Amino acid sequence: DALLGCHRSYRSRPTHGIGKFKYLLSKEVPKKRKEKVQMKEISAGTEYQYGDINIQMTSYDLCLVEHFAQYVHRLCNHLSIQVNESYAMPTKTSEVLFLEERGSKMQLDAVLTTHQRVVQIRGLSSTFAPILLEIIQSNQPEGVHLLMKQHTEADFKSRLKSRPELEELLAEMS
Amino acid sequence: PCRAQPKKKKKVDVRKEQAQKERMKKKLKKLEKAAPELIPIEDFITPLKYSESNRVRSLPPLAPEEAERRVLLLKKWCLFKQKQDEAEKKAIKALVESQQEALKELRLESEELFQAAIRRDEGLFPFEREGPSYTPPLPGYDPPEGKCTDITKVYTQ
Repeated sequence: DALLGCHRSYRSRPTHGIGKFKYLLSKEVPKKRKEKVQMKEISAGTEYQYGDINIQMTSYDLCLVEHFAQYVHRLCNHLSIQVNESYAMPTKTSEVLFLEERGSKMQLDAVLTTHQRVVQIRGLSSTFAPILLEIIQSNQPEGVHLLMKQHTEADFKSRLKSRPELEELLAEMS
Repeated sequence: PCRAQPKKKKKVDVRKEQAQKERMKKKLKKLEKAAPELIPIEDFITPLKYSESNRVRSLPPLAPEEAERRVLLLKKWCLFKQKQDEAEKKAIKALVESQQEALKELRLESEELFQAAIRRDEGLFPFEREGPSYTPPLPGYDPPEGKCTDITKVYTQ
Protein backbone atom coordinates (compact mmCIF):
# COMPACT_ATOMS: atom_id res chain seq x y z
CA ASP A 1 0.00 0.00 0.00
CA ALA A 2 1.56 3.20 -1.15
CA LEU A 3 -0.25 5.13 1.58
CA LEU A 4 1.34 3.22 4.46
CA GLY A 5 4.63 2.40 2.77
CA CYS A 6 5.52 5.94 1.97
CA HIS A 7 8.02 7.88 4.04
CA ARG A 8 5.46 10.53 4.85
CA SER A 9 3.92 9.33 8.09
CA TYR A 10 0.75 11.30 8.56
CA ARG A 11 -1.10 8.53 10.35
CA SER A 12 -2.08 10.87 13.15
CA ARG A 13 -3.61 13.34 10.75
CA PRO A 14 -7.28 13.10 9.92
CA THR A 15 -6.45 12.81 6.24
CA HIS A 16 -4.85 9.41 6.79
CA GLY A 17 -6.23 6.81 4.45
CA ILE A 18 -7.67 9.35 2.10
CA GLY A 19 -8.21 7.82 -1.29
CA LYS A 20 -9.01 4.28 -0.01
CA PHE A 21 -12.09 2.89 -1.65
CA LYS A 22 -11.72 -0.92 -1.78
CA TYR A 23 -13.37 -1.27 1.62
CA LEU A 24 -16.54 0.28 0.23
CA LEU A 25 -16.98 -2.30 -2.53
CA SER A 26 -18.89 -5.53 -1.77
CA LYS A 27 -16.73 -8.61 -1.50
CA GLU A 28 -16.73 -10.59 -4.70
CA VAL A 29 -16.89 -14.34 -4.19
CA PRO A 30 -14.02 -15.96 -6.11
CA LYS A 31 -15.23 -17.88 -9.17
CA LYS A 32 -16.04 -21.48 -8.37
CA ARG A 33 -13.93 -23.72 -10.51
CA LYS A 34 -15.55 -27.04 -11.24
CA GLU A 35 -13.61 -29.56 -9.20
CA LYS A 36 -12.61 -32.58 -11.22
CA VAL A 37 -14.17 -35.76 -9.94
CA GLN A 38 -11.07 -37.68 -8.92
CA MET A 39 -10.89 -40.86 -7.00
CA LYS A 40 -9.47 -40.48 -3.52
CA GLU A 41 -6.76 -42.93 -2.50
CA ILE A 42 -8.10 -46.16 -1.15
CA SER A 43 -6.28 -47.13 2.03
CA ALA A 44 -5.68 -50.83 2.63
CA GLY A 45 -5.49 -50.58 6.40
CA THR A 46 -3.00 -52.16 8.75
CA GLU A 47 -3.20 -55.48 10.59
CA TYR A 48 -5.17 -53.95 13.45
CA GLN A 49 -7.28 -51.54 11.40
CA TYR A 50 -9.56 -51.95 8.44
CA GLY A 51 -9.06 -49.66 5.45
CA ASP A 52 -11.89 -47.93 3.57
CA ILE A 53 -15.18 -49.65 4.24
CA ASN A 54 -18.48 -48.89 2.50
CA ILE A 55 -21.71 -49.27 4.44
CA GLN A 56 -24.33 -49.55 1.71
CA MET A 57 -28.00 -49.31 2.63
CA THR A 58 -30.55 -50.26 -0.02
CA SER A 59 -34.31 -50.07 0.12
CA TYR A 60 -37.47 -49.30 -1.83
CA ASP A 61 -38.42 -46.66 0.76
CA LEU A 62 -36.54 -43.39 0.30
CA CYS A 63 -37.26 -41.73 3.66
CA LEU A 64 -36.28 -44.80 5.68
CA VAL A 65 -32.99 -45.27 3.91
CA GLU A 66 -32.18 -41.55 4.08
CA HIS A 67 -32.87 -41.36 7.81
CA PHE A 68 -30.97 -44.56 8.49
CA ALA A 69 -27.96 -43.21 6.59
CA GLN A 70 -28.09 -40.01 8.65
CA TYR A 71 -28.30 -42.09 11.84
CA VAL A 72 -25.27 -44.18 10.87
CA HIS A 73 -23.31 -41.03 9.98
CA ARG A 74 -24.11 -39.40 13.33
CA LEU A 75 -23.24 -42.60 15.16
CA CYS A 76 -19.84 -42.72 13.48
CA ASN A 77 -19.29 -39.04 14.32
CA HIS A 78 -20.10 -39.72 17.96
CA LEU A 79 -17.82 -42.77 18.10
CA SER A 80 -14.96 -40.75 16.54
CA ILE A 81 -14.74 -42.95 13.45
CA GLN A 82 -13.46 -41.02 10.48
CA VAL A 83 -16.12 -40.73 7.78
CA ASN A 84 -14.57 -40.14 4.35
CA GLU A 85 -17.72 -39.65 2.34
CA SER A 86 -21.45 -40.05 2.63
CA TYR A 87 -23.13 -40.13 -0.75
CA ALA A 88 -26.10 -41.54 -2.62
CA MET A 89 -25.89 -44.01 -5.45
CA PRO A 90 -28.11 -43.43 -8.50
CA THR A 91 -31.66 -44.76 -8.10
CA LYS A 92 -32.73 -47.83 -10.02
CA THR A 93 -36.27 -48.03 -11.38
CA SER A 94 -37.82 -51.37 -12.22
CA GLU A 95 -41.19 -52.34 -13.62
CA VAL A 96 -42.94 -55.34 -12.13
CA LEU A 97 -45.14 -57.15 -14.62
CA PHE A 98 -47.24 -60.17 -13.89
CA LEU A 99 -49.08 -62.58 -16.12
CA GLU A 100 -52.85 -62.27 -16.07
CA GLU A 101 -54.80 -65.33 -15.05
CA ARG A 102 -56.76 -65.43 -18.30
CA GLY A 103 -54.79 -64.41 -21.32
CA SER A 104 -51.17 -64.15 -22.28
CA LYS A 105 -50.74 -60.40 -21.81
CA MET A 106 -48.35 -59.09 -19.18
CA GLN A 107 -50.08 -56.71 -16.83
CA LEU A 108 -48.23 -53.81 -15.28
CA ASP A 109 -48.34 -54.20 -11.52
CA ALA A 110 -46.08 -51.48 -10.15
CA VAL A 111 -43.04 -49.31 -10.75
CA LEU A 112 -40.52 -49.68 -7.95
CA THR A 113 -37.58 -47.39 -7.23
CA THR A 114 -34.57 -48.78 -5.37
CA HIS A 115 -32.56 -46.22 -3.43
CA GLN A 116 -29.08 -46.72 -2.06
CA ARG A 117 -27.02 -44.65 0.35
CA VAL A 118 -23.33 -45.20 1.11
CA VAL A 119 -21.34 -44.11 4.17
CA GLN A 120 -17.59 -44.58 3.78
CA ILE A 121 -15.50 -45.15 6.90
CA ARG A 122 -11.79 -45.31 7.41
CA GLY A 123 -9.66 -46.63 10.22
CA LEU A 124 -12.12 -48.90 11.98
CA SER A 125 -10.24 -50.83 14.66
CA SER A 126 -10.52 -54.61 14.66
CA THR A 127 -11.80 -54.81 18.24
CA PHE A 128 -14.52 -52.22 17.70
CA ALA A 129 -15.81 -53.56 14.38
CA PRO A 130 -18.09 -56.28 15.81
CA ILE A 131 -19.58 -53.79 18.30
CA LEU A 132 -20.38 -51.32 15.52
CA LEU A 133 -21.91 -54.08 13.43
CA GLU A 134 -24.03 -55.16 16.39
CA ILE A 135 -25.36 -51.61 16.94
CA ILE A 136 -26.14 -51.02 13.29
CA GLN A 137 -27.90 -54.36 13.00
CA SER A 138 -30.03 -53.78 16.08
CA ASN A 139 -31.18 -50.43 14.68
CA GLN A 140 -31.78 -51.65 11.15
CA PRO A 141 -35.27 -50.64 10.02
CA GLU A 142 -37.66 -52.90 8.12
CA GLY A 143 -37.00 -53.40 4.48
CA VAL A 144 -33.53 -51.85 4.53
CA HIS A 145 -30.85 -54.17 3.21
CA LEU A 146 -27.44 -53.61 4.76
CA LEU A 147 -24.15 -54.42 3.05
CA MET A 148 -20.68 -53.69 4.39
CA LYS A 149 -17.74 -54.24 2.12
CA GLN A 150 -14.32 -52.82 1.36
CA HIS A 151 -14.14 -49.92 -1.03
CA THR A 152 -12.73 -50.70 -4.44
CA GLU A 153 -12.07 -48.70 -7.60
CA ALA A 154 -14.93 -50.52 -9.33
CA ASP A 155 -17.31 -49.12 -6.71
CA PHE A 156 -16.17 -45.62 -7.48
CA LYS A 157 -16.38 -46.16 -11.23
CA SER A 158 -19.98 -47.35 -10.95
CA ARG A 159 -20.95 -43.81 -9.88
CA LEU A 160 -19.57 -42.24 -13.06
CA LYS A 161 -21.31 -41.82 -16.38
CA SER A 162 -20.37 -44.31 -19.05
CA ARG A 163 -18.41 -42.98 -22.02
CA PRO A 164 -19.11 -45.24 -24.98
CA GLU A 165 -17.17 -43.07 -27.47
CA LEU A 166 -14.01 -43.21 -25.40
CA GLU A 167 -14.33 -46.94 -24.95
CA GLU A 168 -14.92 -47.45 -28.68
CA LEU A 169 -11.85 -45.42 -29.56
CA LEU A 170 -9.74 -47.28 -27.03
CA ALA A 171 -10.93 -50.59 -28.45
CA GLU A 172 -10.08 -49.44 -31.95
CA MET A 173 -6.63 -48.24 -30.95
CA SER A 174 -5.60 -51.50 -29.30
CA PRO B 1 4.63 -56.90 -64.57
CA CYS B 2 2.67 -53.92 -63.14
CA ARG B 3 4.72 -52.86 -60.13
CA ALA B 4 4.30 -49.12 -60.23
CA GLN B 5 0.64 -49.12 -59.32
CA PRO B 6 0.80 -51.32 -56.17
CA LYS B 7 3.72 -49.22 -54.90
CA LYS B 8 1.71 -46.04 -55.21
CA LYS B 9 -1.18 -47.67 -53.39
CA LYS B 10 1.12 -48.61 -50.49
CA LYS B 11 2.43 -45.06 -50.06
CA VAL B 12 -1.00 -43.50 -50.24
CA ASP B 13 -2.34 -46.13 -47.86
CA VAL B 14 0.43 -45.59 -45.32
CA ARG B 15 -0.09 -41.86 -45.36
CA LYS B 16 -3.84 -42.26 -45.07
CA GLU B 17 -3.41 -44.67 -42.18
CA GLN B 18 -1.05 -42.34 -40.40
CA ALA B 19 -3.44 -39.44 -40.85
CA GLN B 20 -6.28 -41.58 -39.51
CA LYS B 21 -4.24 -42.62 -36.49
CA GLU B 22 -3.36 -39.05 -35.71
CA ARG B 23 -7.00 -38.02 -35.99
CA MET B 24 -7.98 -40.83 -33.61
CA LYS B 25 -5.24 -39.85 -31.16
CA LYS B 26 -6.43 -36.25 -31.21
CA LYS B 27 -10.00 -37.38 -30.58
CA LEU B 28 -8.84 -39.58 -27.69
CA LYS B 29 -6.90 -36.69 -26.15
CA LYS B 30 -9.95 -34.45 -26.37
CA LEU B 31 -12.22 -37.03 -24.81
CA GLU B 32 -9.73 -37.87 -22.08
CA LYS B 33 -9.33 -34.19 -21.20
CA ALA B 34 -12.98 -33.97 -20.26
CA ALA B 35 -13.27 -35.11 -16.64
CA PRO B 36 -15.66 -37.98 -15.89
CA GLU B 37 -18.99 -36.84 -14.46
CA LEU B 38 -21.05 -38.34 -11.69
CA ILE B 39 -24.43 -39.73 -12.62
CA PRO B 40 -27.12 -37.25 -11.46
CA ILE B 41 -29.24 -38.66 -8.68
CA GLU B 42 -32.96 -38.51 -9.36
CA ASP B 43 -33.80 -38.44 -5.63
CA PHE B 44 -32.44 -34.95 -5.22
CA ILE B 45 -34.21 -33.41 -8.21
CA THR B 46 -37.79 -32.39 -7.39
CA PRO B 47 -40.10 -33.01 -10.32
CA LEU B 48 -41.49 -29.82 -11.84
CA LYS B 49 -45.09 -30.71 -11.14
CA TYR B 50 -44.48 -30.28 -7.39
CA SER B 51 -43.10 -26.79 -7.74
CA GLU B 52 -46.31 -25.37 -9.20
CA SER B 53 -47.65 -22.69 -6.89
CA ASN B 54 -51.36 -23.56 -7.19
CA ARG B 55 -50.87 -26.55 -4.88
CA VAL B 56 -51.07 -24.84 -1.51
CA ARG B 57 -52.56 -26.49 1.53
CA SER B 58 -54.62 -24.26 3.83
CA LEU B 59 -54.84 -25.71 7.33
CA PRO B 60 -57.55 -24.69 9.83
CA PRO B 61 -56.31 -22.57 12.77
CA LEU B 62 -55.44 -24.51 15.95
CA ALA B 63 -57.21 -24.00 19.24
CA PRO B 64 -54.83 -22.88 22.03
CA GLU B 65 -55.50 -26.02 24.09
CA GLU B 66 -54.68 -28.18 21.10
CA ALA B 67 -51.48 -26.23 20.44
CA GLU B 68 -50.42 -26.55 24.07
CA ARG B 69 -51.19 -30.26 24.06
CA ARG B 70 -49.04 -30.69 20.98
CA VAL B 71 -46.14 -28.75 22.45
CA LEU B 72 -46.24 -30.81 25.64
CA LEU B 73 -46.39 -34.01 23.59
CA LEU B 74 -43.35 -32.86 21.62
CA LYS B 75 -41.45 -32.21 24.84
CA LYS B 76 -42.35 -35.67 26.15
CA TRP B 77 -41.21 -37.21 22.89
CA CYS B 78 -37.91 -35.31 23.06
CA LEU B 79 -37.32 -36.56 26.58
CA PHE B 80 -38.15 -40.12 25.60
CA LYS B 81 -35.78 -40.00 22.65
CA GLN B 82 -33.05 -38.50 24.82
CA LYS B 83 -33.39 -41.30 27.36
CA GLN B 84 -33.32 -43.85 24.54
CA ASP B 85 -30.16 -42.31 23.08
CA GLU B 86 -28.46 -42.16 26.47
CA ALA B 87 -29.30 -45.80 27.14
CA GLU B 88 -27.79 -46.74 23.79
CA LYS B 89 -24.59 -44.81 24.49
CA LYS B 90 -24.39 -46.42 27.92
CA ALA B 91 -24.79 -49.85 26.33
CA ILE B 92 -22.00 -49.12 23.87
CA LYS B 93 -19.70 -48.01 26.70
CA ALA B 94 -20.49 -51.13 28.69
CA LEU B 95 -19.77 -53.32 25.66
CA VAL B 96 -16.43 -51.63 25.02
CA GLU B 97 -15.43 -51.83 28.68
CA SER B 98 -16.28 -55.50 29.01
CA GLN B 99 -14.40 -56.19 25.78
CA GLN B 100 -11.31 -54.41 27.11
CA GLU B 101 -11.50 -56.33 30.38
CA ALA B 102 -11.80 -59.62 28.55
CA LEU B 103 -8.79 -58.74 26.41
CA LYS B 104 -6.79 -57.83 29.52
CA GLU B 105 -7.56 -61.20 31.12
CA LEU B 106 -6.69 -62.94 27.85
CA ARG B 107 -3.37 -61.14 27.78
CA LEU B 108 -2.60 -62.39 31.27
CA GLU B 109 -3.52 -65.89 30.18
CA SER B 110 -1.52 -66.14 26.96
CA GLU B 111 0.20 -63.53 24.82
CA GLU B 112 -0.21 -65.54 21.60
CA LEU B 113 -3.98 -65.75 21.84
CA PHE B 114 -4.14 -62.06 22.68
CA GLN B 115 -2.18 -61.15 19.57
CA ALA B 116 -4.36 -63.39 17.44
CA ALA B 117 -7.52 -61.85 18.91
CA ILE B 118 -6.36 -58.29 18.19
CA ARG B 119 -5.78 -58.99 14.51
CA ARG B 120 -8.42 -57.98 12.04
CA ASP B 121 -10.88 -60.54 10.78
CA GLU B 122 -10.67 -61.03 7.02
CA GLY B 123 -13.87 -63.03 6.93
CA LEU B 124 -15.93 -60.22 8.44
CA PHE B 125 -16.31 -58.28 5.20
CA PRO B 126 -18.28 -58.43 2.98
CA PHE B 127 -21.15 -58.53 5.44
CA GLU B 128 -24.73 -58.67 4.26
CA ARG B 129 -27.99 -58.65 6.18
CA GLU B 130 -31.58 -58.25 5.12
CA GLY B 131 -33.73 -55.95 7.20
CA PRO B 132 -36.49 -57.47 9.33
CA SER B 133 -39.82 -57.71 7.50
CA TYR B 134 -43.22 -56.61 8.80
CA THR B 135 -44.75 -60.01 8.12
CA PRO B 136 -43.06 -63.37 7.59
CA PRO B 137 -43.59 -65.01 4.18
CA LEU B 138 -46.89 -66.89 3.93
CA PRO B 139 -46.47 -70.65 3.68
CA GLY B 140 -47.97 -72.20 0.58
CA TYR B 141 -48.46 -68.90 -1.26
CA ASP B 142 -48.51 -69.29 -5.04
CA PRO B 143 -47.39 -66.02 -6.63
CA PRO B 144 -48.56 -65.18 -10.17
CA GLU B 145 -45.98 -65.50 -12.88
CA GLY B 146 -44.31 -62.31 -13.95
CA LYS B 147 -41.03 -60.55 -14.49
CA CYS B 148 -39.08 -57.52 -13.38
CA THR B 149 -37.63 -55.25 -16.00
CA ASP B 150 -34.98 -52.66 -15.20
CA ILE B 151 -35.91 -49.31 -16.73
CA THR B 152 -33.21 -47.12 -15.17
CA LYS B 153 -32.19 -44.25 -17.40
CA VAL B 154 -28.67 -44.75 -18.74
CA TYR B 155 -26.59 -41.57 -18.75
CA THR B 156 -23.74 -41.27 -21.21
CA GLN B 157 -21.14 -38.56 -21.34
